[in-house]
Amino acid sequence: MSEENKKKKLLEVKNLNVRYKSGQATVYAVNGISLELEKGQTLGLVGETGAGKTTIAKSILRILPDYAVETLEGEIYYEGKDILKLSDKELQSLRGHEISMIFQDPMTALNPVKTVSSQIAEGDRKHHGCSRAEANQKAVEMLEMVGIPGERADEYPHQFSGGMKQRVVIAMAMACSPKLLIADEPTTALDVTIQAQVLDLIKNVKEEIGTAMLLITHDLGVVAEVCDKVCVIYAGRIVESGSKEDIFDKPSHPYTQGLFAALPDLDKDVDRLTPIEGLLPDPTVLEDGCAFRSRCPHACHACREFDNELRELAPGHYTRCWRGLQDRED
Amino acid sequence: MSELMEVKHLKKYFKSPRGTVHAVDDVCFSIEKGTTVGLVGESGCGKSTLGRTLIHLSESTDGQILYQGRDVTRLNKKELIEFRKHAQIIFQDPYSSLDPRQTVQDIISEPLLLAKYGKDEVQRRARELMDTVGIEKRLRMSYPHELDGGRRQRVGIARALALNPEFIVCDEPVSSLDVSIQAQILNLLMDLQEELGLTYLFITHDMSVVRHISKKICVMYLGQMVEQCEKKELFEHPLHPYTKALLSAIPTTDIHAEKRRIMLKGEITSPINPKPGCRFAARCPYAKESCNEPATLREVAPGHLVACARAEEVNCMA
Repeated sequence: MSEENKKKKLLEVKNLNVRYKSGQATVYAVNGISLELEKGQTLGLVGETGAGKTTIAKSILRILPDYAVETLEGEIYYEGKDILKLSDKELQSLRGHEISMIFQDPMTALNPVKTVSSQIAEGDRKHHGCSRAEANQKAVEMLEMVGIPGERADEYPHQFSGGMKQRVVIAMAMACSPKLLIADEPTTALDVTIQAQVLDLIKNVKEEIGTAMLLITHDLGVVAEVCDKVCVIYAGRIVESGSKEDIFDKPSHPYTQGLFAALPDLDKDVDRLTPIEGLLPDPTVLEDGCAFRSRCPHACHACREFDNELRELAPGHYTRCWRGLQDRED
Repeated sequence: MSELMEVKHLKKYFKSPRGTVHAVDDVCFSIEKGTTVGLVGESGCGKSTLGRTLIHLSESTDGQILYQGRDVTRLNKKELIEFRKHAQIIFQDPYSSLDPRQTVQDIISEPLLLAKYGKDEVQRRARELMDTVGIEKRLRMSYPHELDGGRRQRVGIARALALNPEFIVCDEPVSSLDVSIQAQILNLLMDLQEELGLTYLFITHDMSVVRHISKKICVMYLGQMVEQCEKKELFEHPLHPYTKALLSAIPTTDIHAEKRRIMLKGEITSPINPKPGCRFAARCPYAKESCNEPATLREVAPGHLVACARAEEVNCMA
């Protein structure tokens, strides 16, 4: 790919591999993930616990703990620069300023001994050289934007409810108008009515600032609400990717189909749900062939020799299943 | 139709430094034998407290809990031990509800030992239970940390089943599990109900799960019951403004559906010394001055109970 082409894309991850040390064993957390994100777009990463979603997010910000990581290979281009080759200083100017992150648990993402306004103001003071007064003023504006009255700016996190804390976290992430927002299960800890409010808020703020978003979730309903593109992750690999319409209207990979089938439906009555039998494969063993084959209802001997390459089903719609192009209904 | 459990004007208050927490406030409902009643509501609305109070894990402040006609709140110690054989609970978090220093077999055997079963009988029954809930025999001597979430929840279910109970409170048994595993556990619970004729009170905040498993649904808001009816009726004709908002807020996987979402203002208010009057009024899009009167649960359609003074008006039923 030419240099020019790379620059159009905001984020491009190429063949990312992450392995953790775990005692004597190696955990294969992320295996050859490639993805792209354009300006203003929202990409959803869907998968179950342990699929490697959060590891991908943390590699982009380079905040994985050094002591646990055995290898971190691949290329992560942010506006043409390879994040994996940046110095600590360069990284610091990216984090919070250009790329910021909303963490899953608002209860632990905030510093309990600092007021919420000082936590929101930190980014502006560091990256934009604002004075304390200026930054605090802006923090109050950010709080009001996420629907928290300005007079509560000098309160501490424990004085807020869960939904409000998550709004504070969002205000913090948005304070420096980042170009890329990584949201790791931003609404999982919240109730549905509050979740609806927060998703609405993220959508509005995103439109206002024009931020691109990488949304990590296990909730297909949330993906349907906010994403443009979707990647389904299984055992550290993307098993299916495409536009939201591709994935929701024509799910092709047996795992994606299984995820949809396992959900209880709000409109249809079924006597029994269809679970995906079995469990995630052992992450300390990287086997050849398709990683889903032990749980797949369509598995056969050919899956053992599967080359683990993506197949293009339609323009932009990829699946990591050799039966991808064949009619599965037979 | 026989009612296994009947709850009348049940109250559970907690004292706190800032005042009295009205966790469960004047709740009435009944559970028919062999069926599942779903209890839904947001975190902090008192669902779990209600579930625990029903099987007397925490003592009620006032009101009656009639289990097969006998008042659970008045049982003496001996009778309570007997009652616990009939009523059990499955907890939300399979990570903290199992003793990390006990093996799977120990955990499942404990209720049997307490009930003074013989040693051989305990072993036989424990093996039988592992079979019933689908835990492989080889995991008999494993510790909880060696199991995944789904298997741990199966151990919790086996423990609840040990003494052949009739009634089980399921307190968010699937909300910490992934969807593929969640479906396995829901199927298991429904199979067990059919085989053993169990009665469930199923507590959850997930409307699609409750729709799948329940016959009757109760919606709670801030310690009070706001709506109660058969499942089908609730999803087709929700009458309380809170239920309507709750149903409209669920993100669905249908990307082409036209959605009209009712956005609620603000968040759940404090259950400490609540003001008289409708507790939902502060967030309700239809609130009027008349909502300052206490809203009591009343039957507006056959078998459909709502606690909203303006239910007919709001739903154009007049």
